[in-house]
Amino acid sequence: MIKVFTVDDSASMRALLLHALTGHGFAVDQAEHGLAALEWLKDNEPDVIITDINMPKLDGFGLIEKLRADERHRDRPILVLTTESSDEKKARARAAGATGWIVKPFDAEKLASAVRRVSH
Amino acid sequence: MTIQRPVSDGLKRLSVMQGNVEISRATDVMMTTVLGSCVACCMFDPVMRVGGMNHFLLSEPGPAEGSVKVDEHYGVYLMEVLINGMLSQGVRKQSIKAHLYGGANLHANMQKIGSANAQFAQDFLARENIQLFHMDLGGTTARRVDFIPAQGRVRCRVLKEQVEVARPVLQRPATDRGDVELF
Repeated sequence: MIKVFTVDDSASMRALLLHALTGHGFAVDQAEHGLAALEWLKDNEPDVIITDINMPKLDGFGLIEKLRADERHRDRPILVLTTESSDEKKARARAAGATGWIVKPFDAEKLASAVRRVSH
Repeated sequence: MTIQRPVSDGLKRLSVMQGNVEISRATDVMMTTVLGSCVACCMFDPVMRVGGMNHFLLSEPGPAEGSVKVDEHYGVYLMEVLINGMLSQGVRKQSIKAHLYGGANLHANMQKIGSANAQFAQDFLARENIQLFHMDLGGTTARRVDFIPAQGRVRCRVLKEQVEVARPVLQRPATDRGDVELF
């Protein structure tokens, strides 16, 4: 079973993601911001990480940069899921090492398809 | 589409149409909207003196008679855009005070789409621990909402007379939703 780890400060968004991803057969763990995600990732190795950008404490850009600097997570697929639509933010995510960019509101089928593609 | 027009009191009116979000800290701006079954959420931070408004309709008639289907994805998205817009102005989420308006069921013989919108909005704020400062939801009549974002002042008037409320867009375009770009 593909293990997905989602990072989003919105409880509503976490609930939607949990429902959508478990409904497509993925195992899901979640964190509410970048710092909590880093803590969880010290002891866990998900197949795919899905992260929001705008979060307190440590945002999505910072999370991606820290993970790419860590040998354990250097090649782990990281999908950004965000309300941001600017090319500048997308380019910044790409430069930080993101694997892909998904604009909210997400479509469960497209999200599940993207998770399967990047996890192989 | 947002229409900006100055009027005699010196305030610039920003019309917040369905599906739109506006954020402002300008002292000469008033956001305004007319609501039937739609809901508008006004958010204000009294410390940073920044405010914002969205305007949404999330529900559509479900396949079963009498049921109403709520598109939570779209609602969460529009609320998140509003919150992120506030945060980008230096607002702390814990400081936000929210107002909710609208959610009327304009036609007695139609499904209660307004009620479903209103319930979603209240549930969202509760889940996100955002303070609901005031609400005027439900009923059977349209409302006009005027919001001065830099002051957090809201005036909500029930429109007694028969007014033409813009027909809600029940189906949102799905083609560009959740598009995935792999790098």
